[in-house]
Amino acid sequence: MRILTTWIVSFGLAFGSVGSLGDVPMTKWGKPGLQGNWDFRTVTPFQRPAAFADKEFLTSEEVDEFEAAVIAGREARAAADFDGEFDQQDLDVGYNQFYLDQGTRMTTTMRTSQLIYPENGRMPAMTERGRETAAYFRALQSRSPEGPEDRNLYDRCIIGFNAGPPMRSGAYNNIMKLVQTEDHVAIMVEMVNDHRIIPTGNSSADLPDDMRLWKGDSRGSWDGDTFVVTTKNFTHLSRFSGTGESMVLTEKFTRLDDQRLEYEWTVEDLEMFEDKFTAVVEMQLTEDDVYEYACHEANYAMPLMLSGARKQEANGEQDDTWLPSWSR
Amino acid sequence: MKKNKAPLFVLFLLSLGFLQSCTQEQTSESIGSEMVTSSGPPDLSGIWQAVNAASWNLEGHTASKMPVTRIMGALGGIPAGMSVVEGEEIPYLPEALARREENRANWNNLDPVAKCYIPGIPRSTYMPWPFQILQTDTEIFIAYEFGSNSRTIFMDRPGTEAPLPSWMGYSLGNWEDGTLVVNVTKQVPDTWLDASGNYHGPNLVVEERYTLLGENHIQYEATIDDPDVFSRPWKIKIPLYRRMENDARLLEYKCVEFGEDLLYDHLRKGYDGPKALDGSLR
Repeated sequence: MRILTTWIVSFGLAFGSVGSLGDVPMTKWGKPGLQGNWDFRTVTPFQRPAAFADKEFLTSEEVDEFEAAVIAGREARAAADFDGEFDQQDLDVGYNQFYLDQGTRMTTTMRTSQLIYPENGRMPAMTERGRETAAYFRALQSRSPEGPEDRNLYDRCIIGFNAGPPMRSGAYNNIMKLVQTEDHVAIMVEMVNDHRIIPTGNSSADLPDDMRLWKGDSRGSWDGDTFVVTTKNFTHLSRFSGTGESMVLTEKFTRLDDQRLEYEWTVEDLEMFEDKFTAVVEMQLTEDDVYEYACHEANYAMPLMLSGARKQEANGEQDDTWLPSWSR
Repeated sequence: MKKNKAPLFVLFLLSLGFLQSCTQEQTSESIGSEMVTSSGPPDLSGIWQAVNAASWNLEGHTASKMPVTRIMGALGGIPAGMSVVEGEEIPYLPEALARREENRANWNNLDPVAKCYIPGIPRSTYMPWPFQILQTDTEIFIAYEFGSNSRTIFMDRPGTEAPLPSWMGYSLGNWEDGTLVVNVTKQVPDTWLDASGNYHGPNLVVEERYTLLGENHIQYEATIDDPDVFSRPWKIKIPLYRRMENDARLLEYKCVEFGEDLLYDHLRKGYDGPKALDGSLR
């Protein structure tokens, strides 16, 4: 609590005393304060569920019902009485509710999905090229891994499954640190502890097209009170939701009040998808710390997977269960 | 005889210029409190890098071969370097020195950084990759290009303790006469101090001191205290240089994909290389 009190007082001194935009803290240099640790957990579905087909918003009563149903579902799974007949789903995700940390609340927009474009709240169709590429990677990850490169980037601890960019609520570690100076904004997501250092003034040139980065190259600028970040130069392996190296990501960070940060992002990759797609959530300022997530250092799964694959080969066994059941 | 005063006048002007340049040099290279501005502590923001061979060996060493010289030739050797240790040698306890020699003998398979593990502090500072400092009143964020690692130095939490050990440890900072002083505790004992087997235990305490020398240099000092391993606290001193290029920026060195070759090659399908080089992971 002492840490918390000190932090709040310091934060107030640094950001609260130089003018305001309603309840929005401002920096010494006149921009909305973005700095802090931000919690982006939400139970709002990424895509609009079929049950809400043409319904973009819920009533507050419906939000309560939805949240209660999510929690009830988790409790039912946590209390399941296993009879020894384990199915593949039990093996695929070796986490119980102790480890999962997906939040309990919908975003305060009361939307039925995080996706707001296309208007139906569903992902746009893939192009033929997008489908072919997705099938290639699916086949790669379905087979007994010949080396670490066959597994996805999350298994390899190269990028985090919810760290993007863009960031998207996932199973756990849904928290990020935002550090703000006049010239740069740093975003560090707890999942794999990856960071982006984003210049705020569009002062430096874009990277040459042939220089590709796992999490792309980000450039920022202020559009009024919104911090806009454009990210390009992704590798062909980065593949956020099936995108390719042509992906252009536009993120908009808008401080709504002293506790909330609106995070809207748009992905455009017309090589892989027939249309762009846009999502919006609100992140909550949190007093929790962002901890070190030493993923690669403790990646016991990778040598075990590879050892298992070699053992199966030696035994002449075929195994078609390398894709987890939730992604089949 | 009438003296020609022109040469004297020129000499006078030259002297003025010399004195002025000395003054500028003295001002720009002044340390500590002289760099404190009326608006607050020195601004350490920017991209910095050490330019020496300390990451290979903190102690003085001549150039030597590495296992990869047989495929990389002269590109694969270890460069020579003078000791950055105050007093030249690290004051190991006798048993600990024997452990260091064991580490050194199996260095290329045991060095955690070769596996792309987080280097910890102070090693992250003098790795041959740049790092960027973002300085705010409440915290100082350091982003390292190697492994896309980072750490936060908390400026507003005096007296607090780490909730649990970590590879980067727990960093508490404060300003002392224009020097950023950082107390780093609770680092896991799995990191090394360089690529020559120099190591520490779980009770390591590092006190770092960052002193701005002019606009483009930081004097970095780290006092390393671990009574389980060393006979006394000891200090390293390394200048850090600002990356000056117009387009200087942190890029990615996502070393996992390189460390995988060391960690998992023997588990690849069809692998026909050595099954064990040293009895460790291989």
